[in-house]
Amino acid sequence: MTPVIAIGKATVGQILPWRRFLGLGALANAPALLVFLVTSADQADEFETFVGITAGLFFGVAMPIVSLVLATASLGDERRDETLSFIALKPIPRAMIALAKILASVAAATAVLATGAVTLGVARGIRTGEWEYVLPLLVAAIVGALVYASLFTPLGYLTQRATLSGLAYVFIWEGAVVGALPALASTSAWRVAFSAFAALVPEEVASLVGDFALGSVVPGAGGAVVKALVVVAVATLLTTWILRRRDLA
Amino acid sequence: MSETPTSPSYVADATVSVSSVSKWFGQKVAVSSLSCSFGPGLTGLLGPNGAGKTTLLRMLAGLARPSEGSITVEGRNPRSHPNVYRFLALVPEEDAVYGHMTGRELVAYSSRLSHRGHDAARVEAALADVELTAAADRPISSFSKGMRQRAKVAAALVNDPTVLILDEPLNGTDPVQRSRLISIFRRLGAEGRTVIVSSHVLQEVERMTDRVIAIVDGKLAAAGDVGAIRSAMADIPYRVLIESDKTRPLAVALLESDSVIGATIDGERMHIETTDLRELGRAAPSIAARIGCRIAVFRTEDDSLESVFRYLVRRR
Repeated sequence: MTPVIAIGKATVGQILPWRRFLGLGALANAPALLVFLVTSADQADEFETFVGITAGLFFGVAMPIVSLVLATASLGDERRDETLSFIALKPIPRAMIALAKILASVAAATAVLATGAVTLGVARGIRTGEWEYVLPLLVAAIVGALVYASLFTPLGYLTQRATLSGLAYVFIWEGAVVGALPALASTSAWRVAFSAFAALVPEEVASLVGDFALGSVVPGAGGAVVKALVVVAVATLLTTWILRRRDLA
Repeated sequence: MSETPTSPSYVADATVSVSSVSKWFGQKVAVSSLSCSFGPGLTGLLGPNGAGKTTLLRMLAGLARPSEGSITVEGRNPRSHPNVYRFLALVPEEDAVYGHMTGRELVAYSSRLSHRGHDAARVEAALADVELTAAADRPISSFSKGMRQRAKVAAALVNDPTVLILDEPLNGTDPVQRSRLISIFRRLGAEGRTVIVSSHVLQEVERMTDRVIAIVDGKLAAAGDVGAIRSAMADIPYRVLIESDKTRPLAVALLESDSVIGATIDGERMHIETTDLRELGRAAPSIAARIGCRIAVFRTEDDSLESVFRYLVRRR
C-alpha cells in the first residue's frame, strides 16, 4: 500500500464515520424522497419540478454541504486533534500528503453524493418510467465532489471557521451573487457539475435543463471534467504550499 | 550570553545542532537565541511548563520553522529534507492519536508511512515493547492517557529511529508504566541512538540520564550533567507540598531537621522549604512514622522548580 493510499484510507475512516455517513446520506437523499413524493408521470409540469428539485436541492444545497463538511474535516480534523505531525513526520513529500488528503475528501464526498444521485435517478425512474437520468446524475455528482472537495480541503486547514467560510461561498456567492449575475456562473462549483448533467441528459430536454440554472456556463461533460481536474491540481498545489510554509499542528 | 562549542550545552559528536535559534509568535518570544547540541545517548530537556520545550522540540523535528537561527539533524535542515524522517521520530506531548483507530492500526499506519513499508512483525514487536499487545485491538478512544502515550511511543519505535524526540512522554503514566518507558528510553540511548526526552520534573529526568539541558522562558538555563545542575541549585530552597492528617506536629518535627528552613501551614497542607530535597524525602517518612501521622501527598511544587531555573538564567 503506497503512502498516498494509506493516508487516503485513514482519512476516509477519520472523516466519514458511520454516524456522519448516515446524517449526510439523509441530506443527499432528501431530494430523491421529494421527487418520489411530489412528481408523477401524469403531472403537467412534472419535468420542471424534477429539474427544480435536482438543481435547487441536490446540486445547490446537498452537494456543497456534504462536500463542505467532509472536505474541511480532512485537514481540519488533523489540525484540531493535533495529529498532522503523525503524517508530516514521515518521509513523504508534502505534495503527496496534500494529494492524499484531497483525494480522500473527494472519495468520501463521492461516496455520499453518489447514493443521493442514484436514488434521485431511481426515484424519477419509478415515478415516470424514465431511467436515463441515473448516469448523468452520477457523473455530475462525481464532478461536483471533485470541485467542492478540492476547494474546501485547504480551507479546512487555513481557518478554524472553515464551515462558516464555506457556507458563505455557497449561499452568498453561489446563491445570491451568481443568482443575480449569471455572467459569473462559471465561478459556481455546482453549476460546473450541473453543466455535466445538462450535457448528458436526453437531447430533447437538454436546453430546458441548461436554461434552468446554468447562466453563462455552457453544457459539456468533458469541459466540466477538465475544469474539475484543474481545480484538483490547483488545490493540490495550494495545499502543498500551505503544508510547506506554515508551522504544522 | 554566547556559547562556545566547548561549553556543556554542546556535545562533540552532535547529531542534532541548534544554532542561535529564536522563535516568536507575534509579540511572544517562545525560544530566545538558544544554542546547544544533542548526540548519541539520552539527553533530558528540562524546564518548567511554558519554558519553550515543546516549541524547541517541534523545531528540532521540523514541524515549526525557527524565526531566527538554524537547526540541523545529521547535517540537514528537517524543514527542507523530508528524508530526515527516515531516521527521526517525534512523540508529541498532546494526545496526537487517531481515536478511530485501534492501537495496532495506529502502529501499522506508522509503519506503512515509513520508507521501509509495512512489516507486521515490527508492529507486534513495538507493541510488545511498550506492553500494549493485550489492548492493541481496542479503539484508542477507549485508552487511558498512559496507554495513549505508550501507543504513540510504539508508533515511533516501529520505524527504528536513530533520532527519537519525546515530549513529556511520561505524562499520565502510572509508576509501573513510567519505569517501563524509562528503561526503554535508556536502552535506546545505550544503543547509540540520539534520544531527547523533555520533562518538567527534575527527578524524572534524573532517573533517565545524566545529561540535561535546562531551559526557562525560552533561554538556556543550565546544561551538563545532573550533578552539576544540582550543585548549581544547592543554594536555592525547594518548595515541597506535603499533605498529612497531622499537619502541625509534622511541621514542627520537620523543622528540627537541618535541611528544612521554613514551613507554612494551610489546613491539611503544608509547604516546606528545604535546601536538600533528597534528605527531606528520606527523613519525612520516618519522622511521620515516629509521630504517628500519615503522609498523603509529597511532591515538589512546579513553582519552585521554575524559580530555580529563573535563578539559573539570571546567574548565567
